[in-house]
Amino acid sequence: MSELNHYDIILSPVITEKSTAASEHNQVVFKVPLTATKPEIRAAVEKLFQVKVTAVNTIRTEGKTKRFRGRIGKRSDVKKAVVTLAEGQSIDVTTGI
Amino acid sequence: MNVTETAADGLKREFLITIGAADIDAEVQVKLKDLSTKIKMPGFRPGKVPASLIAKTHGEAVLGEVLQQKVNESIQSTLTEKNLRPATEPKVDVTKAGKGEDLEFKLSFEILPEFEPADVKEITLEKLVAPVSDEEVDTMLKGFADQRKNFVAEEGRTAKEGDALTIDFVGRLDGEVFEGGSADGVDLEIGSGRFIPGFEEQLMGAKAGDIVKVNVTFPADYGAKELAGKDAVFDVEVKEVKVAAEVVIDDEFAKGFGLDDLEALKKAMREQIERQHDALSRQRLKRDLLDALAARHDFEVPESLVTVEVQQITRQLGEGEGEGEENEAVSEEKQAELRDIAVRRVRLGLLLAEVGRRANVQVKPEEVNRAIMEEARRWPGQEREVIEFFSKNEQARAQLRAPIYEEKVVDLMLGEANTTEREVSLEELQKDPDEDAESAAA
Repeated sequence: MSELNHYDIILSPVITEKSTAASEHNQVVFKVPLTATKPEIRAAVEKLFQVKVTAVNTIRTEGKTKRFRGRIGKRSDVKKAVVTLAEGQSIDVTTGI
Repeated sequence: MNVTETAADGLKREFLITIGAADIDAEVQVKLKDLSTKIKMPGFRPGKVPASLIAKTHGEAVLGEVLQQKVNESIQSTLTEKNLRPATEPKVDVTKAGKGEDLEFKLSFEILPEFEPADVKEITLEKLVAPVSDEEVDTMLKGFADQRKNFVAEEGRTAKEGDALTIDFVGRLDGEVFEGGSADGVDLEIGSGRFIPGFEEQLMGAKAGDIVKVNVTFPADYGAKELAGKDAVFDVEVKEVKVAAEVVIDDEFAKGFGLDDLEALKKAMREQIERQHDALSRQRLKRDLLDALAARHDFEVPESLVTVEVQQITRQLGEGEGEGEENEAVSEEKQAELRDIAVRRVRLGLLLAEVGRRANVQVKPEEVNRAIMEEARRWPGQEREVIEFFSKNEQARAQLRAPIYEEKVVDLMLGEANTTEREVSLEELQKDPDEDAESAAA
């Protein structure tokens, strides 16, 4: 996979209380496309941040069903990837790529 | 904090101030901690945002704030420590500042000159006093009487100079009625010169009921351009001829002013004239005092204040001329002249302030309030707004306070100076000793 496509895999970091807590365990959380696979995510993170990834877990969060003026709408689904890095490695998610 | 004096030339002072990085950092940390309890960030509950994140997002802003605060603090402490009084706002020139760096800045300002005010007791002044003459009172009375002239209609009288006519008139220009040239029931006093030259004269000798044709030429500089210089014919119908009733200056006349009798009226007028004379003589005295003071002092004045003053004078002059265009063309010579005036003003200002400070002259709030009331009276119908403006605007109040302060200091000095009185005529009192120096009195 070309390097350009790597940028399409990592949409944005997820910065929340939970993700900061996860960083204690050498884990980083990213938002990724619904179509991204674990191997793709691993490749993209290793390439873009120059780190060694030991595991990738993904979570699909279904968008909530919301009503607006009586009509039913749906929020977009989101896929998140929790990437565990090798011992001693880190990514500063707040600085961006 | 490390303060080194780098220059002290005349009134100019320059300091190089360095503040250690550790000092600044400690302050920043305190601020950030304080911030972390207040800040709101999506994804975090309030107060749960990690410190490192806050430092990243708000660190710059907090650092700037701390630097600003440190600069202000150090200026204050430097000034109080060295016991200096700056003439203007000190100029700050930051040479080094940043994260993890020492803060280094140059502080430059001019101090107020230290000087010993001359002993006012050595100054001899001549107070010009003009007594109020009876003629002046009489002239004033006559003026009042003229204003209160009554006109009484008289049957069959032919109009003479000084009479008033009630007229209807229709004006024609080449046979055409023109706008604004007609009116009904106008009162016209012959000899008052209110109408076009020639109009009133041609009505002399008219009787009530007469219809007179008046031929006039509008003056070339007449207000309405389309009429200026044109010949016009007015058909005037005289309705009434009224004679001016002679106004007798007596007790009855005085009662019209709400006074008991003529004596009281005369007295009131005399007092009023006296007040005018007093004001004039005080103005003269004050100018003499300031002249004397200016001649006795020659201390250095802060350049920055002079510059500001020059700008102000230039602006005032510009306003007087209507347009600011000519300001550009102010000649070198004029500039030098302005500078001299400015230096004098600044010097006198500093001197008065110093004298006032030594004598502990203070302007009481009541005095300011009185000045505000007086100011409000000048704007009838808007008194409330004016008062509100002053009560809310500290700067505007300061502007009122300044002249009061000045007057008090001048009073104080006049009280101490050797003053001799000399009687002069009114003309001499009014005469300007030197026209050129009028700005100096300010």
